[in-house]
Amino acid sequence: MAEGQQTGSESNQALAGVKVLDFMWAMAGPGSTRILADYGATVVRVESTTRFDAVRMVGPFQNKQPGPNNSGLFNNMNTGKLPMTLNLSKPESRDIIFDLVRWADVVTESFSPKAMREWGFDYESLKKIKPDIIMLSTCLMGQTGPHSHFAGFGNLAAALSGFFDPTGWPDRAPAGPFGAYTDYIAPWYNAAAVLAALEHKHQTGTGQHIDLAQAEASLHFLAPFLLDQTVNGRTQTRMGNRDMNFAPHGVYQSAGDDRWVAIGVETDDQWRSLCETMNRSDLGSDERLATVKGRLANQDEIDAAINEWSSQVGPYDAEEKLQAKKVPASAVETINELYEDKQLQHREHFVDLEHPDFGKTTVEGSRFKLSRTPAQINPVAPTLGRENQNVLENILGYNEEKITELVIAEVLE
Amino acid sequence: MLSPYRALDLTTERGLLCGQILADLGADVIKIEPPGGSSARKLGPFYQDQEDAENSLYWWAYNRNKRGVTLDITRSEGQQLLRRMAKDAKFLIESDNPGSLAHYGLSYAELAADNPGLIYVSITPFGQDGPKASYADSDLIILASSGPLVITGDEDRPPVRLSLPQGYLHASAAAAPAALIALYESHRSNRGQHIDISAQQAAAQATQSTILSAPLNDAETRRMAGGAKMGSLAIRLLWPAKNGHVSIAYLFGSAFAHFTKRLMDWIYEEGFCDKAVQQMDWVQMGGPLFGGDPKTIEDYERLKLIVEDFTKTKTKEELFRNALERGLLIAPVTTLDEVVHSKQLDSRQYWTTVDHDEIGKAFAYPGPFAKFSEQPIAYKRRPPKIGEHNAEVYGELGLGAQALAELQNKGII
Repeated sequence: MAEGQQTGSESNQALAGVKVLDFMWAMAGPGSTRILADYGATVVRVESTTRFDAVRMVGPFQNKQPGPNNSGLFNNMNTGKLPMTLNLSKPESRDIIFDLVRWADVVTESFSPKAMREWGFDYESLKKIKPDIIMLSTCLMGQTGPHSHFAGFGNLAAALSGFFDPTGWPDRAPAGPFGAYTDYIAPWYNAAAVLAALEHKHQTGTGQHIDLAQAEASLHFLAPFLLDQTVNGRTQTRMGNRDMNFAPHGVYQSAGDDRWVAIGVETDDQWRSLCETMNRSDLGSDERLATVKGRLANQDEIDAAINEWSSQVGPYDAEEKLQAKKVPASAVETINELYEDKQLQHREHFVDLEHPDFGKTTVEGSRFKLSRTPAQINPVAPTLGRENQNVLENILGYNEEKITELVIAEVLE
Repeated sequence: MLSPYRALDLTTERGLLCGQILADLGADVIKIEPPGGSSARKLGPFYQDQEDAENSLYWWAYNRNKRGVTLDITRSEGQQLLRRMAKDAKFLIESDNPGSLAHYGLSYAELAADNPGLIYVSITPFGQDGPKASYADSDLIILASSGPLVITGDEDRPPVRLSLPQGYLHASAAAAPAALIALYESHRSNRGQHIDISAQQAAAQATQSTILSAPLNDAETRRMAGGAKMGSLAIRLLWPAKNGHVSIAYLFGSAFAHFTKRLMDWIYEEGFCDKAVQQMDWVQMGGPLFGGDPKTIEDYERLKLIVEDFTKTKTKEELFRNALERGLLIAPVTTLDEVVHSKQLDSRQYWTTVDHDEIGKAFAYPGPFAKFSEQPIAYKRRPPKIGEHNAEVYGELGLGAQALAELQNKGII
């Protein structure tokens, strides 16, 4: 069967011909194979009808209706893959998985380390049936160590990796970053790791096993603070919206109910332009505040002056006035306003998918653009088990009789 | 794995992480700075608080494994030299405002004319085109216009960010898989392409797909101390412990029910709830909880208080030990000091020593982002000093000592 018949993907896509068997769940893993699918990889996504991906029941939901096919989060992480259901307690499902392993270039999984061993799907076992297989194992804490079997979601890895403590106000308990923060970092590293292994296989013909701990990869987003700890012995913590290098730097009150404008000044020129915009030439010409050192030392005074001005102006007005003078500023857009953001609209950030129950639903597009081989988003929602027949017939070449037997034996559930 | 390839890294602090990932994967990454050094070298914290271009821990954090040269690309001799270097480079990474390099005759089209295989990666706040493409920017501006800011923080204070810039890290981490997708494709076509990364679109990943609530017609997400509000559902992720805080994913439905049941069993064992509470149907409550059912939300609020009364009688270590033993979704909120002393990271030998011969000391860096079985990531070079590899790199281009001295006298390098 031709590639195009399996996936709807075009053979001119960047990753056409890359075959991925995806056992990952939640966000950190599936977010990375979504990137591969956007650029033409064929990704078979295995779940079961009784134990489907947990985030199928996490919102936001289409029309506020919780249900496994209605989760915007699941659909956003899995668009373009081939969703397949297998009942792993049936012996026949093991044969199907081994056939898929023989087909695949890459196997990805994000279970706790012992789960794959117990199923006999660990790297050493898979390597025996497919010697050049690339396998990515990614879990919160890694495949080894005293916490290796600690399973869960990105909020836990974020807490353990120090992301909560430096987020919030110094006089209060940490606010913590929103949701499962390390789940938003790990996809970049997971995808880069798989692509690097594909490059290695291109050069040498050999596959390999990758052990990517979500917590460890994510720590690179805290690297300057971590070096302050290991090099200087100083523990950085939360400082509101202030920045150790720049001032003024904050989120200021705008006119309206719970409205805010973000301003982050990085140069002396920007500072003078800010003062000009606020009609505060007294501050703009104040020698004490002319350099960043002086401004860092007088932040309370500066912040009070900015709030006095900004609270009289709407957030988008403030953004327009300040950007006109090249001051880094943005309205703090509400979640619902982001759908109308003129830049995201221009970049076609939101993509509609066909949905069997609602007619349509929406996901985000690729987060970057490749000029010659752009992302192609398969415009169909990845509903549970949607591609069972396609995978068995077109990828594995099973005949109708065999497929019917599998259905009757309740293997595809 | 990328050792056959050279990457020219022209980025400022906005894009250093991309080249860092390629360098960790083995590419020969040449960091090109203006004479006098990159603006990133002005960012603290500093080694022993000595503000010097060679002491920036921000610089250290994102430039290991790279070689460093200086080059003034605003002058024609500098531009000629860059064009020569770009002829046999596989990647060029830059983070200037759209059109800036074109102004110096160094656009993708101009460099690709001499080297059609070049993969040219542009990292910008809002992408190469669109109404905000020329916006003045800094970290808060990215976070305010992509969603993470408005959903983070205490309700009675402004939205708040993590106290270390994150927006550009998402963009430059996303740039790594983007570049490697283009590399994979180039083996087939023998051609490179231009990659356009938008920090706004990359950082929107940190909304956990709640950015889709408007098109999906679900409740808008808002900020809340130690959690977030989705409509009337106040999801709490932060809980008090005797000696700090823990994060718990305390939710209902099939994804969370077995964890929640085990936690409530423990709470019941210790006498903090009655039998009726212990035996609630945690699976069934998921749909109504996420669907905003008022009765279920009332129950959830009541249960949260029971959990809080329980957690505050335990230390965070006690709670985590039980999480490991009982299989619970609880993790301690760690300080960065505690992260650096983590037993798990220690047992995986995560912290990696980098020799700073220029100081005569060695320091522990955050370790490899993944463990590759075939070609493990190694930290071979400390971050380069200003112009450290001028003679070596320009020597490889065929420039002799005299030519170098001349360029140096003119201030080109």
